[in-house]
Amino acid sequence: MITSRYIARRTIYAIITAFVAIIINFLLPRIIPGNPAAVILFANYHYLPVGKVKLLESEFGLQGSLLYQFERYMIELFHGNLGISFSNYPATVTQLIESHLPWTLYLLGVSTLISSVLGVFLGRLIGWRAGSKSESAVSSIFIGLTSLPYFWLAIIFLLLFAFDIPIFPLGGTYSIGAVPGFSLTYLENIVDHSLLPIITIVLTTAPAFALTMRSTMINQNKEDYLLMAKAKGIPQRIIEKQYAAKNAILPVTTHIVLAFGYIVAGAFFVEVVFSYQGIGYLLYTAVTSYDYPVVDGVFLMITITVIIANFIADLLYAYLDPRIELR
Amino acid sequence: MIGNFEVESSQKLTPENLEPERESFIHGLWINQKARYGIIVFAIFIGIGVIGHFYTPYNPHFDLFKSYLPPSYAHLLGTDYDGHDVLSQFLYGTGVSLYVGAAVALIAVFIGTLVGLISGYYGGFVDNALMRFVDILLILPTFPLLVILSTYLKPTITSTILILGILSWPFMSRVIRSQTLTIRERPFIKAAILSGMTGYRIVFREVFKFVLPLIIINTIYIFVGAIVAQAGLAFFGLGDLSSINWGTMLFYAENQDAVLYAAWWWILPPGIAIAVLGIAANILGTGITEVYGGRAGST
Repeated sequence: MITSRYIARRTIYAIITAFVAIIINFLLPRIIPGNPAAVILFANYHYLPVGKVKLLESEFGLQGSLLYQFERYMIELFHGNLGISFSNYPATVTQLIESHLPWTLYLLGVSTLISSVLGVFLGRLIGWRAGSKSESAVSSIFIGLTSLPYFWLAIIFLLLFAFDIPIFPLGGTYSIGAVPGFSLTYLENIVDHSLLPIITIVLTTAPAFALTMRSTMINQNKEDYLLMAKAKGIPQRIIEKQYAAKNAILPVTTHIVLAFGYIVAGAFFVEVVFSYQGIGYLLYTAVTSYDYPVVDGVFLMITITVIIANFIADLLYAYLDPRIELR
Repeated sequence: MIGNFEVESSQKLTPENLEPERESFIHGLWINQKARYGIIVFAIFIGIGVIGHFYTPYNPHFDLFKSYLPPSYAHLLGTDYDGHDVLSQFLYGTGVSLYVGAAVALIAVFIGTLVGLISGYYGGFVDNALMRFVDILLILPTFPLLVILSTYLKPTITSTILILGILSWPFMSRVIRSQTLTIRERPFIKAAILSGMTGYRIVFREVFKFVLPLIIINTIYIFVGAIVAQAGLAFFGLGDLSSINWGTMLFYAENQDAVLYAAWWWILPPGIAIAVLGIAANILGTGITEVYGGRAGST
C-alpha cells in the first residue's frame, strides 16, 4: 500500500541523497591539495601566469569563504549553470550535455528496451523449466555473459564484425560525410552505426534480466495458487504465461525502471569503445583532457537521474505489490 | 531452493551443535561440486599471480621487442604496441589485479562486517543512523562516483584501492545486518545474554560464527567486483597507468588501436581472465549458499 507518509519519506531520502551528491561535487575540487585553478592551468598549458590563475579562480567561484562559495555555487546550480568547459571553450557544460545526451538516450534507451523485453521472455522460459538439464546449461551461459566485462566484449566485436568481417562501421555516431537532417540516408547511417553497440549491450544485460525473472518465476512455483491452478487442470502453458509470469514480473519491473534510470550512468564503456558521441564519451574526453567542469557537471547529472529513477522504482514497487512492508 | 537449505541449516545450528567442527568448513565446500570448481579456479589464478610476481619470461616493464608480433614460440602471447611480451605482462599483471581485489576486499569486508553486526545486533538509533547512511551510499551510482574521485585524487594503485574499499561495503553490511537480526532472536543468544556475556563477546564470538559463510560469499563478490571496477577505471584512463594489470593492458589495447592491428593475442587474455574469475565467483558463491544456506546476494 502506498501512503503519503511513505511518499514523504522517499522524497526526503531522494533530496538528502541529491544534496550529498551536490556536496561531493562542491567540495572535491576545493579540498584537493594545491590550487585547483593552478592545477588545471598547469595541466592544460604547462605554465602559470598569475593573472590567469586569478581569473580562473573567480570564474570557478573559488574566491571568498567556503560558505560564500557554496551560496554562489547553489545559486548558479539552480539556474542550470554548470560552468564553462576548458577544452571546448566557450561552450558551457550545459550545452555540451544537451548536445551529447540525445545520442545516449537513443543508444541506451533502445538497448535497454530490447534487453528487458527479451530478458523477461527468456527468464520466463528458463524459470518455468528450472532444474532441467537444458535450463541449467542456458542459465550457466547467462551467468557467463553477465560476468563478461562488456567494454572488452565491445572490443572483441569491433575486431570481429567491423575489422575482420566488415559488416559494421568501426565506430562513430554517423559517417563523417553524412549531412544531419531527416533524410532516409542519414537515419539509415545512424542506425547502422548504433547496431553493433546495441547488440553488445543487449548481449550482456539481457541475461541479467533473465536471471532475475528466472528466480522470481521459481519462487512463484512454490505458491499455493499455482498448485490450485494445476489441480484444476488448467494447461501448463496457460499457468506459465497467465498465472506465474504475471506475478513473477512484479519485482522485475522495478529492476527495469532502475535500468532505465541507469541509462546515462551505464553508457560509459560502450560509447568509449565505439567512439559514440554520447554522455559517456563526453565524460571520457573530459577525464582525459582534465576538463574538470565537464566531469563535475556530468557526474551531477548522472547522479540526479539515478536518484530520480530510484525514487520512481520505490514508489512503483509499493504501488504494484501492496504486500510489501514499507519503511 | 534457497528456502530448503535455510531449514536444513537452522536444524544443523542447534545449541547442542554450537562448537563448529574445525575442518568441516573447507571439507563441506569441497564435497559440493560447484564450490570445488570455484575454489580450483581461484587457486589457479592465485598461483598465476604468485608465479608472475617472481618469474616472468621477460621483464614486463623494460624488455622491448618488435611491436605487434603475433604469438610464436619465443613470445607465446605475442607482443604489444611497444614490443612488451604480452605473456610476461599478463603473468605480472594478474598478481597486481589480484592484489587490488584482495586489498579492497580486506577494507570493505572489515567495514561491512562491523557495520552489519553492530547495526543488526544493537538495533535502535545506531541501526537507524547506520542504515540511512547505507541507503544514501547505495543510491549514489558507484561508477560515476569512482570516476570523479579518481579524477581529483592522485592516481596510484593505493588510491584506487582506498576509493574502491570505501565504496564497496554498503551492500554487504545490509546482508550481514539482516542475518544478524534473525540470529539475535535465537534462544542461544538469549541464553548468552542471560549468562552475563558482554555484547562485544556475543557479537564477535557467537553471532560471527553464523554470519561467517555470508561474509565469505561477500568477500568473494567484493574481491571480483573490485578487480572488474579497477579494470574499468584503468580502461577509462583513471588510475596508475604505469602499473601493469588487466585494466591497463586493456586501456593500452584500446588506445593504441590494437583492433586495427587485429592483435587478438593482446586483447583476449585480460578479458577472458576477468570473465572466468567472474564466473568462478558466481559458482563458488552458489556452492557456499547450497552448503551453508543463508541468503547470499551478489553485488
